[in-house]
Amino acid sequence: MSKRYVMIHDENRCIGCQACSVACRSENGTPEGVSRLQVRVEGPFGDAPHLHFKYNRVSCQQCENAPCVTVCPTGAAYVGDDGLVTIKEDKCVGCMYCVAACPYKVRFMNPETKAADKCNFCKDTRLARGELPACVTVCPTDALTFGDANDPQSDVAKLINTKATYQEKTHLGTQPRVYRIPTKRGGIQS
Amino acid sequence: MIELDRRTFIKGAGAGGATCALATLLPGSLAALEQQPLKAVGKEVASICEMCSTRCPISARVVDGKNVFISGNKEAKSFGGKVCARGGAGHSLLYDPQRIVNPLRRVGERGEGQWEEITWQQAYQTIAKNLNDIKAKHGAEAVAFSSKSGSLSGHLFHLGKAFGSPNSFTHASTCPGGYVIAAKAMFGTKVKRDLGNSKYIINFGHNLYEGINMSETRGMMKAQMEKNAKLVVFEPRFSVVADKADEWFAIRPGTDLAVALALCHVLIEDKLYDHAFIEQHVVGFEAFAEEVKACTPEWAQGVSDVPAKDIRRIAHEYAAHAPHAVVDFGHRATFTPEEFDMRRALFAANVLIGNIERKGGLYLGKKAKTYNKFAGNKVAPTLGKPGVEGLPKPTAKRIDQVDEQYAMMWSSGGIYQTILDATLEAKPYQLKAWVMSRTNPMQTMTDRARVVESLKKLDFVVCCDVYISETAAYADIILPESTYLERDEEIADKSGKNPAYYVRQRVVETIGQTKPSWQIFKELGEEMGLGQFFPWENMESLQLLQVNRDVTLWNTIKEKGYVSYGKPLMLREPSMVAAFTAHYPEAKATDADGTYASAMSFKTPSGKIELSSDKVEKMAAGRGVIKYRPVQLKQADELYFIQGKVAVHTNGATHNIPMLANLMSDNGVWIHPLTAGKLGISSGDKIRLSSSVGSEEGTALVTPGIRQDTVFAYMGFGSKNKELARATGKGIHCGNLLPHQTAPICGMNIHTTGITLAKI
Repeated sequence: MSKRYVMIHDENRCIGCQACSVACRSENGTPEGVSRLQVRVEGPFGDAPHLHFKYNRVSCQQCENAPCVTVCPTGAAYVGDDGLVTIKEDKCVGCMYCVAACPYKVRFMNPETKAADKCNFCKDTRLARGELPACVTVCPTDALTFGDANDPQSDVAKLINTKATYQEKTHLGTQPRVYRIPTKRGGIQS
Repeated sequence: MIELDRRTFIKGAGAGGATCALATLLPGSLAALEQQPLKAVGKEVASICEMCSTRCPISARVVDGKNVFISGNKEAKSFGGKVCARGGAGHSLLYDPQRIVNPLRRVGERGEGQWEEITWQQAYQTIAKNLNDIKAKHGAEAVAFSSKSGSLSGHLFHLGKAFGSPNSFTHASTCPGGYVIAAKAMFGTKVKRDLGNSKYIINFGHNLYEGINMSETRGMMKAQMEKNAKLVVFEPRFSVVADKADEWFAIRPGTDLAVALALCHVLIEDKLYDHAFIEQHVVGFEAFAEEVKACTPEWAQGVSDVPAKDIRRIAHEYAAHAPHAVVDFGHRATFTPEEFDMRRALFAANVLIGNIERKGGLYLGKKAKTYNKFAGNKVAPTLGKPGVEGLPKPTAKRIDQVDEQYAMMWSSGGIYQTILDATLEAKPYQLKAWVMSRTNPMQTMTDRARVVESLKKLDFVVCCDVYISETAAYADIILPESTYLERDEEIADKSGKNPAYYVRQRVVETIGQTKPSWQIFKELGEEMGLGQFFPWENMESLQLLQVNRDVTLWNTIKEKGYVSYGKPLMLREPSMVAAFTAHYPEAKATDADGTYASAMSFKTPSGKIELSSDKVEKMAAGRGVIKYRPVQLKQADELYFIQGKVAVHTNGATHNIPMLANLMSDNGVWIHPLTAGKLGISSGDKIRLSSSVGSEEGTALVTPGIRQDTVFAYMGFGSKNKELARATGKGIHCGNLLPHQTAPICGMNIHTTGITLAKI
């Protein structure tokens, strides 16, 4: 069976500490000024004392139906055999259609390679070495879980089957592979 | 809130580009060298982080000769192989063009920012001549030595001792000294908290989810998520820990003591406390019970704004989870002059439910010597302590030894801020020179203007640092220390419930002319004519003395980076004692109840836990028993000004590190919408904060996550020296607003004051 890599971000566990975004930058050599990954601490929402923050992971959602791939005129944005949306730098002509088409606004032009860039779950660095993505590796509070959702024994499959999760902008039909476990304080019981 | 928005996502804070040009002009900086690829020492090196003082065990690997990818060392289980944003950004410090990699001499006025590069030999000769001259004229005690604690403070203070000065200081009185002194008074030693096994956690603004201490942060999250622990937070601001809490109470700043005493009141009056435990292990209960009789929840509500019914309910819930419940005794930030009694009251709430040496409660560290004694076996090796004989005994008293009430602090880092009194007012005598290592009192001490005045008045100032920090900017000589990624250091004790050791090791070869502390202060000592006190050749020789020349042990510790021995042991936890005795057949015999309760001993005068202390009473009349005393932290028309930690920075140290500066370079001032509305302030407006000692310009961040009578800012921002190009002038400088005030008994620098706010 083919793999279906997914990332699950537990907003109850996330403390917005940015360990993930720093590790991502170190592992992938992301140039200063652009980011593959951020966690935005948004809010507080609600009325005091019943306030809550939202811990919003902002990174490529690894859509199964990826608009960036559809619009790419050169095939630089493509879906690999592993199902991951990736970029062939030498095919990218820098037209930025993908940057405009991404509903999650997480693609950017890499000032060093001059090609479009974004999170690829550390496909060419850590995954290639059989390691977990950088963000998952360092997360202080174990808020991130990564794995093959097609494997029923995987941690991700177990989490998706037992916890209430949501994905961003599913109404667009993108079928994102980043799942989020909502914070209990947001009013949605997980 | 960490402000990260669309703009920064696309463009980044981009501080580096504009300031690099300036940095290249800075003599002695890394920018002055040609950039060379990093040379790795090994494939993956286990070491110890130094991005904050928690010193987590790390594992580091050089990526493509450009970066160092740092994660946690998996050998240290409670750290989970994890690292925070600061820890992950270590290479950004290593390769920062603004880092200092050559010794510098000041050529203009102090603080003017005119520097010239000198050789190490010139630096040593200048320092040796100046310090020896001062010693000859004014005595060795006229020189103060201060340092961030760790291997570096060990070597600097050794130099200070060899030189003959009693005046050595850590940053304790500006940071974690309060709870340390309170614990010393009650338990005779420091205690640790077992948050990971706790079922009920009461937290007074110890923001472990922003002021990350990896094993404790993970422990608390584990307790919350996997063990269903309830977390109650009392904090004036809606911090991340308040957000993650089951209940958050916006307590009035500085009134934690009242709520803690009211909790104790309910525990005692409603007979919820552990009577047997108090009988067996505690002295001073009666006097304490008498004192808290009046501290009703209703009274505490009037002081703190925390509803009485909630205090009562929380005390009952807490007791219902005893002994696997804990009141967190906190860390930095001295909220009130009554710091000592506040921390003692927090400890008292633990003692009352008898959670000492119980899972989820408090416990004492089990170093090899203690652990082996219980095991009846040499389970863990004990380390040798390299030292030298014949060190001179200082003839003078310490400068903070003016008042007996501070006696417990003298050996716990000292009262750092007394350097200012001794320099400016010759109290108790005149200081002439200050030698510092990796400490930044301009940021961490209160009343910045007074720190500047002191640094200007002294005859001679030396700073050892990795940057020209705000303090180093006023030095005569700057010694560039290697970053932790370039240093080997002594093996350190990391024992918790069982013994453990770990070690800092070089990950990359040294860049530029920097040296590790041990080498700097040894070579300086030799130049000063004190070579006899530095008989060791290098760090290897020191490590080998530590392991008593057991090369196998040495290699194991170096290879794994972190080694622990035996099983976790808490002396009063029956299941742990049973597992321990089953594992070690020669273990000490247990009590009839299957625990080691009777073997528990405390280094207090009575040998028991001292809920009230005759010793403290003798040091300061009227202070033996924990007591509430009203304090005035602000004037009626002022707002409370409080500070805290953010997850991406460490107090006075990391704000210039490129990767972290890009994440956050400014500290918006949190203001309640109604407070802001009355003053016509909106988010993003320029504002002025004025206190009794200073005035700062900042940016407003209007949010409901703060009390109406309080403003908050993350500390460590707003540096004022031009050398820290990324940090300078960004945000408000907290130390510049706080008056110089010292708390009784513990000698802590106080971090709450009153300010007025205006739109500009």
